Amino acid sequence: MNPDLFLQLDRVIHEKGRLAIMSALAAAPELSFTELRDLLNMTDGNLTTHIRTLQQEGFVCVAKSYQNNRPLTSCSLTAAGRKAFANYIGLLEQIVRQTKK
Amino acid sequence: METNWAVENLQTIRTLMERSALYRRALAPIMLFAGAIGVITAIIGRLSHMDQGRNFCGLWLAAAIIAIAGTFCIARRQALKANEVFWSPPTRRVAQALSPSLSAGLFLSVLLTAVPDNEEISVVTSLLWILFYGCAVHAAGFFMPRGIKLFGWIFIIGSCGLFSVFFLGWHHFELNPHWLMGFFFGVLHLAYGAYLYLTEKKNPAA
Repeated sequence: MNPDLFLQLDRVIHEKGRLAIMSALAAAPELSFTELRDLLNMTDGNLTTHIRTLQQEGFVCVAKSYQNNRPLTSCSLTAAGRKAFANYIGLLEQIVRQTKK
Repeated sequence: METNWAVENLQTIRTLMERSALYRRALAPIMLFAGAIGVITAIIGRLSHMDQGRNFCGLWLAAAIIAIAGTFCIARRQALKANEVFWSPPTRRVAQALSPSLSAGLFLSVLLTAVPDNEEISVVTSLLWILFYGCAVHAAGFFMPRGIKLFGWIFIIGSCGLFSVFFLGWHHFELNPHWLMGFFFGVLHLAYGAYLYLTEKKNPAA
């Protein structure tokens, strides 16, 4: 078992809440803040904090607009975020394969 | 232990991705196709005076089969073009959400064909179809873009209003079942399709 694989896991993504956000966004072009909050069963504050961290890393893009005269915050993965998420999944799969050998 | 941790993480990721995936096939061509079938069927039904129960049900069930088959073909073509699986988790969830209301509507309409033929039964059947279709579309709206729910509500409110008008005898005009079906399943679908055609994002993902 190669311990380097664990060290290569992205620390920003490797947190339960942020991993959940990345997973949800990886399957949809964009999700509103409310959709994400309801899907992941998170509080507004918790979700905001995690999104801010992911945004600072350049993994998530946040867009603010209006729908039916109400503010709408939408989140989506950036190209860097998609790549980082794919790398993270790839590493997890490698860990599973190596341990099974 | 480490494998378990990694496997569990992968499973959680997969579940979350499946849950968050919305059905985002381009609906404009589907709506336009269904609308065109609706309008054509209404015109055929009206011109051929197929207003009595069994004829009416037979004609519209045939139209529904054509519309459903066409819808599947359009969605499958979109999936092939995008190099994606057709029977994906979002597609499955939308189909599951649609099926209870559509099955109930189909069952009741088949039951109503057993009632002696008259035009009033056709009006009741058409209003039931509109109501159940609205419920089905609204249920599917939980896994689709938000506008679909509103579209479902238009059918539900429209049918409830017309049921009231019909049963309370407030109408001083003819409630023709083909025109009702033509308006709801034809004109409304065409209008929504045209709206989506102008506003839908290009290259949607599944």
